[in-house]
Amino acid sequence: MKYYISFAWRNIWRNKKRSILATSSIFFAVFLALIMRSLQFGQYDYMVNSTVSMYTGYLQLQTKGFWDNHSFDESFELTDTLYRKIKNNAGITTINPRIETAALISHATETRISPVIGIDPYSEDKMTGLKKRLSKGNYLTEESKGILIAEGLADRLNVDVGDSIVIFGQGYQGVIAAQVFQIEGIIKYPIPKMNNAFVYMTIKNAQELFNLSNRITSIPIMINNPSKLYELRNELSSKIDTNLVIMTWEEMSPEIVQAIAVDNASGFIMLLILYIVIGFGVFGTIVMMTLERTREFGLLIAFGMERDKIYLVTTIESIMISFFGALLGLIITFPILLYFYYHPIPVKGELADIYLSYGMEPIIPFSIDPSIFISQMLIVFIIGLLTSIYPISFIRKIKPVSALQGRGGMK
Amino acid sequence: MKKIFFLFFLFISITYSQNPKEIVKKSVDILYGKKTFSVITMKIIKPTWSRTITMKAWSYEPDYSLIYITEPARDKGTVTLKRKNEVWNWLPNIQKTIKIPPSMMLASWMGSDFTNDDLVRQSSVVDDYEHKLISEEKFLDYDCYKIMLIPKPDAGIVWSKVILWISKKEYMQLKSEFYNEDGNLIRTMIGSKPKNFSGHLIPSYWEMIPNDKPGNKTSFEYNELDFNINITPEFFSIQNMSRVR
Repeated sequence: MKYYISFAWRNIWRNKKRSILATSSIFFAVFLALIMRSLQFGQYDYMVNSTVSMYTGYLQLQTKGFWDNHSFDESFELTDTLYRKIKNNAGITTINPRIETAALISHATETRISPVIGIDPYSEDKMTGLKKRLSKGNYLTEESKGILIAEGLADRLNVDVGDSIVIFGQGYQGVIAAQVFQIEGIIKYPIPKMNNAFVYMTIKNAQELFNLSNRITSIPIMINNPSKLYELRNELSSKIDTNLVIMTWEEMSPEIVQAIAVDNASGFIMLLILYIVIGFGVFGTIVMMTLERTREFGLLIAFGMERDKIYLVTTIESIMISFFGALLGLIITFPILLYFYYHPIPVKGELADIYLSYGMEPIIPFSIDPSIFISQMLIVFIIGLLTSIYPISFIRKIKPVSALQGRGGMK
Repeated sequence: MKKIFFLFFLFISITYSQNPKEIVKKSVDILYGKKTFSVITMKIIKPTWSRTITMKAWSYEPDYSLIYITEPARDKGTVTLKRKNEVWNWLPNIQKTIKIPPSMMLASWMGSDFTNDDLVRQSSVVDDYEHKLISEEKFLDYDCYKIMLIPKPDAGIVWSKVILWISKKEYMQLKSEFYNEDGNLIRTMIGSKPKNFSGHLIPSYWEMIPNDKPGNKTSFEYNELDFNINITPEFFSIQNMSRVR
């Protein structure tokens, strides 16, 4: 075996130009496929991250039924033990306990219905960057007695920082919840739907207003590695009580999953076209190389070398060339992707405004998920191997006399 | 002469098999007075909790009513005012009046299985429906007419049909079933424990069972019901919400 490998090795180096040509076509295939996939997955991760961090979180702990009913009947006590159970998991970056409900917001003669969210000012800001969205007034502190209100809602009620509004709704077990709050700050959301609704207060104030004692309704959880989503969900699920559930962002925002699936399908078609173009490129090179070596193959057979052995040698050559091409692709592409991963390409002009209007940074991010590298290298490597079928079928049919006489080896 | 006989028999047959609309109208006249005052205990039963609310209610049919909560202590003094198709709330702890916006009309009233919309619904079981006597049935020891009500097209009613059980002798509405557009039973109202309130014999205990929410029920009981009070529409003003006791 060792003999055939060194034979193949020498064959490769015998005609450097030819080998470099084959290797580089593999290299470009890997290079293009990697960049394309990295860009796509980078976009998806970015899209998911910015959407989930805006509201739901990657995971969310709730009582069973809360997602459908959104009533205080499905609230639960946040005990220290429960908090520690969640906290003691590697990979969790933020735990953001919340009270979510809807209530009437009233000022003078205007009344609107709006989501009212009880938050921990620190963890909410850490997860959603709420403080950055403050357009006026002050952000909440632990001791704040006031509220933050979304800009559009404030406009409709015709209120400003310092004004008082009435919050009127239903508390735990049907009690009436009504209280006057002072506006401490105004929040500006880029998405109109969010900008026209949302009132924030501290969890403590919300618990008092809605008569919840120390109950909360949900805990959005942020994680540092989205690819470990299900692993973490299962781990957390096994630790919590049976009346609680962990929902994933995919369950909470199926519209994002669909958007990604559609885009991924079109991306996959592009990729398929790329593979076909690359495949024929590599195939062409191999055909040329094989025909070029007609005389050589004829000579070997004439000398009495078994055809099986020649198949083996050409296959080893193909493996080596594919392997070097793929490896080279990885070695050169990885640092480039790594650079763009840490320095995403900024978007300028009108497109940037669209990004900003959705509350996203105007950048084109890249992904360095190892699965991209493994899958793309594997696919291109397989394409390389498939093309080695041609030399095998050629050698199988070759007639040594015709090959040695320079008549193409077939007649 | 023949003609007269014919008319005579026709007259007899009409009075004998009563017009279902007449039956409903009679029962409604007994159930609702023009001006009433009542003291009601409402019980809200949910799968995991229950709560009792007592209240005083004044009404001037069909446009006005005012409900004053007396218990529990936390909510005491809260007032709900219905003026035509508007609902207002007076919140004593913050001394504010709030008008319920249209988007909240289908939300629960005081955590019960009744909605704000139930309070203001203008529709009349007599004028807004077509009536059809479907059978005669016994319900809770009472011989009843079973009458199907189909809303008139322009009445703006959310139900596709309502079935009423009205006792033959006393004209009491003992049971009503409400069906949605898909023909599914959504809620059932059952009246029992008939009592005589200033000449009106009506069920004093009512249960409302929402069929789509198992384990939920709201009941209310008339502790007092007076059909002979002296009240004017001016009583039902927004200013008066903060003054009633």
